[in-house]
Amino acid sequence: MLLGSEKKTADMRGAYGDTLVELGRDDPRIVCVGGDTTESLKTKKFGDKYPERMFNVGIAEANIVSVAAGLVIAGKIAFASTYAAFIPGRCVDQIRNTICYPYLDVKLVVSHAGLTVGPDGASHQQIEDIAEMRAIPNMRVLVPADAVSVKYLIRMIASTSGPFYMRLARPSCDIIYADQSRAFELGRGNILEDGSDATIIGCGLMVSRALEAAKELKRKGVSCRVVDMFSIKPIDKDLIARCAKETGAIATAEEHNVIGGLGGVVSEVIGETYPVPIKRVGVQDIFGESARDEEIDMLLEHYGLTATEIAKAVLEARSRSRK
Amino acid sequence: MGFKMRYLDLKRKIRDARMWAIQGITEAGSGHPGASFSAAEIMGTLYFKRMRHDPSNPNWSERDYFINSKAHSAPGFYSTLAVAGYFQPEELRTLRQLGSRLQGHPVRYSEHQKQHSVPGIEYSGGSEGIGLSVGIGIALAKKLDGKKNRVFVLIGDGESDEGQIWEASMAAGKFKLDNLVTILDRNRIQQDGFTEDIMPLDPMKDKWTAFNWEVFEVDGHRVEQILDALNKAAQVHDKPVMILANTVKGNGIRHMANNPQWHGKAPPKRQTEVLLEELESECLIAPSIIAGERENYEDKIRKVEREGVDMIHLDVMDGRFVPNTTFFADTIKKLRRLTSLPFDTHLMIENPLEKIQDYIDARCDIITVHAEACTENEFREIQERLIDNGISPGIAINPGTDVPKWMYHSLHNLDVVIVMSVNPGSAGQKFMPEVLTKMVVLNKQLRQHGFRGYIEADGGIDATTLQQTYDAGARIFVAGAAVYSGGDIHGSVIQLRHKAEVALERRLLNHATQLNIRADWMKARKHILIPYANELRIEEELHAIR
Repeated sequence: MLLGSEKKTADMRGAYGDTLVELGRDDPRIVCVGGDTTESLKTKKFGDKYPERMFNVGIAEANIVSVAAGLVIAGKIAFASTYAAFIPGRCVDQIRNTICYPYLDVKLVVSHAGLTVGPDGASHQQIEDIAEMRAIPNMRVLVPADAVSVKYLIRMIASTSGPFYMRLARPSCDIIYADQSRAFELGRGNILEDGSDATIIGCGLMVSRALEAAKELKRKGVSCRVVDMFSIKPIDKDLIARCAKETGAIATAEEHNVIGGLGGVVSEVIGETYPVPIKRVGVQDIFGESARDEEIDMLLEHYGLTATEIAKAVLEARSRSRK
Repeated sequence: MGFKMRYLDLKRKIRDARMWAIQGITEAGSGHPGASFSAAEIMGTLYFKRMRHDPSNPNWSERDYFINSKAHSAPGFYSTLAVAGYFQPEELRTLRQLGSRLQGHPVRYSEHQKQHSVPGIEYSGGSEGIGLSVGIGIALAKKLDGKKNRVFVLIGDGESDEGQIWEASMAAGKFKLDNLVTILDRNRIQQDGFTEDIMPLDPMKDKWTAFNWEVFEVDGHRVEQILDALNKAAQVHDKPVMILANTVKGNGIRHMANNPQWHGKAPPKRQTEVLLEELESECLIAPSIIAGERENYEDKIRKVEREGVDMIHLDVMDGRFVPNTTFFADTIKKLRRLTSLPFDTHLMIENPLEKIQDYIDARCDIITVHAEACTENEFREIQERLIDNGISPGIAINPGTDVPKWMYHSLHNLDVVIVMSVNPGSAGQKFMPEVLTKMVVLNKQLRQHGFRGYIEADGGIDATTLQQTYDAGARIFVAGAAVYSGGDIHGSVIQLRHKAEVALERRLLNHATQLNIRADWMKARKHILIPYANELRIEEELHAIR
């Protein structure tokens, strides 16, 4: 089984930094642009190893992404990183016009997405980025569920042409893919757990909660399929439609506003393919708030981002199912 | 080292680019003529002279990069690319239309954007204040790779309101990007009005200096100044260079110049031909420093430079081809240090081929030899050597001589024809009016044979004869006594300019009348025409226009 008997966690940013160093070793075209958060983003590891390929332009996000675009125009593959609140928060226009429109090989890998930023509060709790980024033509949006996925996906985006946006969470996340042989394919969700009564489609750190919810429901006799939809765009329409058809009800789980995020995408897809009841678990269109690191679970509970809420959502969707 | 600019060729190409831009804009019914024209000399100087690039191989790995951050100057950018050879200029007529490759704002050309772009465009602009950052990225990559490519970024003053310009400014200073040159099109006008009213930017020079840039300030419509600054920029180490180019928005069309109203508005299509005529009618004044009191050339150059003349005319006489003797290449070499103004050297000497190298070495910008002083083969060789050295070749004919037949074989590499209206070599002669007819006929014949250069009127040019020769087709005017003999250089230059303007306005008005758009033209042009109303006898007519 994918989940080990005892939970292991790992840091997504660490996985990003390590992978970037490996990529940099193999490919001299890899460069990185940062903005006064390189230590936090772990891109400093890359900078320490390849100082001439690391550009820190200070707290200037518009400049970070545009300089990255220039590096790409001159033949590089550029990773640009800071907190999700600021990329894309402070530079959607530059991402749109300077990176996506000309289809440049800029890879935006950002951290501290969602509510789990913790003590910094709502100003830093990025809950709109998936909606913003997926609405831009040419952009691809990835939300990995754990550090293992991060390693795979960083390699994938480095070797796939065009722009990518990849959001990471700040806390250490449960390892979902203990079995490292698991493949990741752009635009294909991974079924982590099969089931027949409903499907939970999650992304990011909500995937581990989705697996927990499935366990809870199993005890109540409800068989849930769990999908890790790490690729929000392109989206796996076929899989979503199949889940709708085969299980008859869907719950989505994301650390993002329910407007325009994973729940939004899945609703759009089933609405146009095989309409079934759906319930979106996520931030209910409100701003977050500060919480100390040891209070993160309580923060998520406060905003309804828990396994219990997902389980409730599944039952609610199922109750409306005609299957 | 000369500037290698082939001055008149450069001027002509920029003129052509303006003409294609206005055709695109009037056809589209929208676009930004103001910004296209304030930046015309900047873009033209880069593309036609300074940048290393190859229109037949836009992805050439050794190319210099141009990033047009003020992307609303698209019509001017496209026309510059077209004149440089990236695509057929006729395509400008599709500007901003559905299905056109020429989008409202330029789009980076790639496999992904073939439908909406043309080869040679590196950067997708349109949102202001971003291009400099992109230029920094390219410059960083080139340094990283140890490559010699240079990056030129054009920014506007309006977009300098954007904070990102200053983020980028700091970053370029930090990274000591001496392979990056930014040119600021300082036309002082943005969409809502004048920059200093909307959001004051001055002191710009101090600002960029404070951000650790080397700053050169130039008149952004003087190609020789732009080139001079670009040459200086290449000598700067460990610092990025800002060329602060003071420009006039809408420069080239007098009623658009310096008028915020023309930021993003197209002139009506029915006026296109008149506008094209105006663009083609730019006149250049070249004072001849042998006029007036003897010698003291340095002083004479300084004085006319202050008056904003276009070139310095240097009459070299050897006492053999003509009776008088003036000065030779050694004098020109000394004078060269004084100014970046183009040197328009007129060799009235025997065997010019023998001496030509001296004048090339003296860094003249235009060198004209007499048809009477060389054979076809000699002229061919002179022409070739001048072109190789980035010097505009010219040929002069005396009042009694006709253009030799052989000249028609090499017109495309001929930048100027001096039509003498006195017999050269002795002072105080009167303008010979019979030359006017000759000029009209010659101009027509030359154009028919594909000549795209300038006709230069030389000999007895004053306020009156300037207008006559202007009407006969001359666009460069050698003014000697008219500038230096009256004792009032300032007043004389103003008067000559004024007369040229009257001639221009009359010409354009006649053209508008022929096209049945006289009233329309006068309305658009009213504020320009007022000072000439009396001379053009249009006072009442003008008054009647509301």
